[in-house]
Amino acid sequence: MAKWKLSKSQLRDAGQGYLFMSPTIFTILVFLIGPILFALFLAFNNVNLLGQTSFEFVWFDNFTRMASDERALIALQNTAFYVVIVVPTQTILALVLAASLNAGMKGEKWFRVIYFIPTLTSSAVLVMIFMWMYRPDGLINTILSSVGLPTYNWMNDPSVALISIMIMNIWATAPMFMVIYLAALQGISDSLYEASELDGASAIQKFWYVTVPMLRPVTAFVVIIGVIGTFQLFDQSYMFSGGSGGPNNSTLTVVLLIYQYAFSNNQMGYAAALAVSLALIILVATFIQRKLQKEETH
Amino acid sequence: MERAKWIKGLGFMSVVLAGTMLTACGDDGNNDTNGAANENNTEGNETDNDGAQNEDQEEVTVRLTGWQSSPTEQRYFEETIDAFEEKYPHINVEVDTIADQYMDVLRTRLIGGEAADVFFLDAFEAPGLIEAGVLESLDGYITDEFDVDDFEEPLIDAFRRDDQLWGLPKDTSTLALFYNKDHFEEAGIEAPPETWEEMEEIAETLTVDNRYGFGIVTDMARLYSIGESRGGEMVVDNRANFTDPAVIDALQPIIDMRNEKEIGASPADVGAEWGGDMFGTERASMIIEGNWMIEFMEDAFPDVNYGVVEIPTIEEEKQTMAYTVSYSMNGESEVKEEAWQLIEFLTGKEGMEIWTASGLALPSRQSVAEMMDYADDAIYEPFIEGASYATVWADDTNLPIINSNFENQFSSAFLGDQTLEEAMEEAERVANNEIQD
Repeated sequence: MAKWKLSKSQLRDAGQGYLFMSPTIFTILVFLIGPILFALFLAFNNVNLLGQTSFEFVWFDNFTRMASDERALIALQNTAFYVVIVVPTQTILALVLAASLNAGMKGEKWFRVIYFIPTLTSSAVLVMIFMWMYRPDGLINTILSSVGLPTYNWMNDPSVALISIMIMNIWATAPMFMVIYLAALQGISDSLYEASELDGASAIQKFWYVTVPMLRPVTAFVVIIGVIGTFQLFDQSYMFSGGSGGPNNSTLTVVLLIYQYAFSNNQMGYAAALAVSLALIILVATFIQRKLQKEETH
Repeated sequence: MERAKWIKGLGFMSVVLAGTMLTACGDDGNNDTNGAANENNTEGNETDNDGAQNEDQEEVTVRLTGWQSSPTEQRYFEETIDAFEEKYPHINVEVDTIADQYMDVLRTRLIGGEAADVFFLDAFEAPGLIEAGVLESLDGYITDEFDVDDFEEPLIDAFRRDDQLWGLPKDTSTLALFYNKDHFEEAGIEAPPETWEEMEEIAETLTVDNRYGFGIVTDMARLYSIGESRGGEMVVDNRANFTDPAVIDALQPIIDMRNEKEIGASPADVGAEWGGDMFGTERASMIIEGNWMIEFMEDAFPDVNYGVVEIPTIEEEKQTMAYTVSYSMNGESEVKEEAWQLIEFLTGKEGMEIWTASGLALPSRQSVAEMMDYADDAIYEPFIEGASYATVWADDTNLPIINSNFENQFSSAFLGDQTLEEAMEEAERVANNEIQD
């Protein structure tokens, strides 16, 4: 017990510490902890904010409702499909780009800058440009048909629309991860490459047995950030479909659905429940991913 | 901020000018077409001149939220507001435009207590807001002089609920058939179609390589009256009722025009932004669009030689859609008296005449429609005619949910991914599942 008793000077020290931290603590409470707790509170209530504000505690009703909510399931399917395709593709693409730009080509600095430009472009602008290129008579279809490939109705065909968004997003985010990989590549000691060369490793073997394993921690980071980012897909599909998630719910993502329930349908409680569920899904996905990563390294 | 100051300045100047203008007003009304408006203005000036002499009537700011779809619309709207500020110099109107997702923004502002005093409200969304109790009932403000019976009955009814009035229709728009006269001439077709069958025949003749005979807009807002043209009802008791065989029968021809007969396509099919774009760039020879097209064609495609007729009849019945938007008052407004004065002016005969002179929308008051004398105008006449039998795009609180589910499924049937029956069954099921009553 005596251990827990603090002397006066210790108390003063602690007080000072907290005093110095108080601006940060205050900010975190108001802008981080507060909203999270409030969202949790909303998720268990039937909320009406418009007109007569009312909260009605409904236990898990908002969560059980999801099981029978067709659009929630479609949104989850779309999002999962999106994550499964986009995360590996953009990770591999980023790695390949980074490795090729680290190989000591002529003018590689320029290529680094050029490759990085898509990441600097605001996503809204990017979507506008892509929507223009995706038009039935737009650039992409013109190129495809000129080399004799089939053309698609990129934006309005439900079976293609989500893929159009994937292409756009991979193109835009891969360079960002490329930069992260580039930085990590600089950190791999040349002696490892020299040693493998002495053992007679080819360029591909060096990449596969030296570069890739050495980059594993960075890959873990890239994948986790990628998973979180792709699960939260919103702006692209919102702009693509004008907020509806159409055609035929094909671009409906979980966050877009949350937006629709919260701001269009005035069902804030259910929207909060969906948001909480999404956070849990991302958390679980991240844990699984970390677990796999650990098993690999052992 | 700049703009607000500018408007304030204008308001102040008009007070000062009002006195001097009064003497010259007798021979000022030289603009023939606006003669009536000018007269009204003179009266207005007289009354507010008295007000101005009361010295320093406290300046009040009324906030007004709406949307503007074109610079032309913006210009006419500002003109109307200027006329109001001239008449009520002590009221300063602060206009703020919401560019996109109007209802989402408005709803959020209402929740946050930040909404404007007066705002545009589409008849389609009105029941939801009325039910939520955020609007001010207007019955207490309306005077006999305002002549509320002058409004077209179906339009004003869209804003009536529980025997109270929650908004006044600022204008209306209807749909009619636009057809490309040059295409008709090339194909040797003499007269525009009168029945739906005739139209399909003509569309077939007109469909050539890069051009469809008929442009199809697949919104429920456009298809509502067609869907109900064979005796079915698409919405019953505030719930979706798409599986009614009469509804499916009525909608099937739309799908067939694209997938079976290949004589029609949607704007998206040809890479157009919307119907006007498709028609203007001559990728469709006929299209059903609203009166907002007239202004657009003049601005963007002045060389396209087109005509307008009423929508071809289905089962010998005429049908079209009418859209209307009201000025409604925020129940939380702190300047209700002035907010009403603004609504009263904008939906009154004087304000409506200035506004609808733009031709962008049709007046919702009978007296103004008569005064505008559209009957001789071949382009406007079909729209005015249509107003007498149009279905107003409004129903009850759940129409937005019903609408979005219809659109989602109908578009997939339209693209041929499923049959219309399947699509309508799905749309009805999901919509009614989403409706939480």
